[in-house]
Amino acid sequence: MSTSPHILVIDDEPQILRAMRTILTEKKFQVTVANRGEEGLTLAAANPPDLVILDLGLPDIDGFEVCARLREWTQIPIIVLSVRDSERDKVAALDKGADDYLTKPFGIEELLARVRVALRHSAQLQGGKETVIKAGELIIDLPRHVIKRGSAEVKLTATEFKLLAYLAANTGRVLTHQSILIHVWGPADADHTEYLRVYMRQLRRKLEVDPERPQYILTEPGVGYRFMADE
Amino acid sequence: MHRLSPSSRFILGYILGFITFAITTIILYLLRGVLDTPLIALLFLLPVGINTAFWGLGPGILTAFSAFLGFNYFFIQPYYTLTVHHSRDLIVLIVFLIVAVVISQLVARAQAGLASATAREREATKLYELSTSLAGVQDDQAIVRIVAAEAIQTFKAERVEVTVTPAEAQKWQLILPVDAAPLTRKPEWTIPLQTARGILGEIRLWRGESTPTLEPIEERLLRTFASQGAMALERAWLTQTETRAKVLEESDHLKSALLSSVSHELRSPLATIKASITSLRSGNVQWKSSAREDLLATVDDETDHLNRLVGNLLDMSRIESGALKPQRQWNLLAEIIGGVISRIRKATEQHQLDLDVPEDLPLVPVDYVQMEQVFDNLISNSLKYAPPNTTIHISARKQNDTTLGVTVRNQGPPVPQEHLDRIFDKFYRVTAADRVTGTGLGLSICKGIIEAHGGRIWAENLPDGFAFNFTLPLNLDGAPPPTLPVESETI
Repeated sequence: MSTSPHILVIDDEPQILRAMRTILTEKKFQVTVANRGEEGLTLAAANPPDLVILDLGLPDIDGFEVCARLREWTQIPIIVLSVRDSERDKVAALDKGADDYLTKPFGIEELLARVRVALRHSAQLQGGKETVIKAGELIIDLPRHVIKRGSAEVKLTATEFKLLAYLAANTGRVLTHQSILIHVWGPADADHTEYLRVYMRQLRRKLEVDPERPQYILTEPGVGYRFMADE
Repeated sequence: MHRLSPSSRFILGYILGFITFAITTIILYLLRGVLDTPLIALLFLLPVGINTAFWGLGPGILTAFSAFLGFNYFFIQPYYTLTVHHSRDLIVLIVFLIVAVVISQLVARAQAGLASATAREREATKLYELSTSLAGVQDDQAIVRIVAAEAIQTFKAERVEVTVTPAEAQKWQLILPVDAAPLTRKPEWTIPLQTARGILGEIRLWRGESTPTLEPIEERLLRTFASQGAMALERAWLTQTETRAKVLEESDHLKSALLSSVSHELRSPLATIKASITSLRSGNVQWKSSAREDLLATVDDETDHLNRLVGNLLDMSRIESGALKPQRQWNLLAEIIGGVISRIRKATEQHQLDLDVPEDLPLVPVDYVQMEQVFDNLISNSLKYAPPNTTIHISARKQNDTTLGVTVRNQGPPVPQEHLDRIFDKFYRVTAADRVTGTGLGLSICKGIIEAHGGRIWAENLPDGFAFNFTLPLNLDGAPPPTLPVESETI
């Protein structure tokens, strides 16, 4: 990227805006802030940002609507901020087109990691997809259907491969239960989270160093899963 | 005899009275040669006394006159006439008549006195029974049921209806016998349930077609029933009001306990954060990079701590208001526990964690996020109390087809037996509050979550430590845990 990425932060709390502006500017991002949903939408239309950080609890229009209205005309990544215990809100925002979420309070490293993932993903959507994904000692070669752990090849069932392929193609991004179930099993099985639980356990057993404390396939409690690879 | 109506009892009294007299006359007639006249007169007083005692004054007087005539006819010469020859016999006859009548009246009066004493005793017994059954009953429905049942039994009524009209609630009714069809005629008796404060309702009583009336004593008894019932009702309502007031007071008390606990708990991390930040900002001191790092790490930890506190408070208020509805879905316990352990890895550095969850454990229908919370709180509690370098065991077993059992066991000190149940209470601490950090809410949140899932949680002392146990149902809406088909590896 030739110029530094432009981030629009929409949040109604002045302290958060102040901190975000300071921190993100320090990290060489261009930052625009808005404290109302409508204002954010106007700013986004006037000067399209590379990424939007959006608080779900806004005083005028709620974050879901901002998400939906942004998605009417742009695919720029949206990271939503929400509070603990609102898994439904997070899922709803993700369904409305948000790319990722962060639970307040969050560490800035976490935020920067999410921003990097989101920016890379949108760059990939414009360019070409990575087809060979490396995560620790794992090598996932999607076109050739080959998964290696170190030098040893890992045997997967057809469903396990579909599942891993979908996760790996969205490396770093959170995927909701529903979206995984629909992509891998089909819309008829969208509610069968038990499929996910069981197949994720199988995948972890084959891929993770310690399946009880996974490093690659992370559970996002109440929301979905996230595949972590080397940056 | 009790089943006879008063009129047939009245007639029967006269008939039997006369028969008694006739039998006495026959016996005395047979013994006429042996007994002299004054003795016979004396013996004739017997049926008079007996008949008055058994049948009342009327039959008694009838017997007295019959005896007078029979005595004259059969035993005073000349026999078989009602004439009297000797003036002595005339005196005997007249004295006999006077004595007989006086005796019958005296006996009758004694009899009536006895009857009213018995009735009073019966009334007193009934009232005693009623007040005993009403004593301590706080439920207005139960009070009304007792009064109605006593009334129907005491007055042998066909039907009793009690209508209650509370001041602040819907009026309601209790009818005995329960399955009786409504009667078309009006009740014979309607007595208000009255206290000094006003009318609380009424008792309506259908006595029955055959004996619609109530004796004055019975009516008085029914009125006393009504006033006893009314007083019991009033007492129950007053107690309820008092209980409500007490509950409110208690919840107020809890709220202030919460506030004081919260402000204390919130202030200590804030104090640490403030101290660290102001130290770092003050220009007077040149911090070594390690000290700087230490202070910043403290701030980081304390903000996490604060975040947990706020989360706990939110959870507790949700449990209290009944808003904690688990989103139960099929989950793997190992995944939930693994997630918690990874998340709190830093806090577990000084302890060993031993996870014992069998591979073939079925899927459990739980809310993922809430179960994470349960394990987080139980493990954190164990970390807090178990000495460093000891092991915390987490194990799960299928107890039967419908129940899963989970144990979080540590090598911490035992909890005195009397505290074991209470450690799940809000703000309850076995140790002094200032020695351990936390809100005093963690375990009560666990209890709230487990119970919302239909399980049970309890704590126990072990020979070498302490354990939290809980159960979870294995069925979701009656369905057993699903099993998935095995797929072969083709890639």
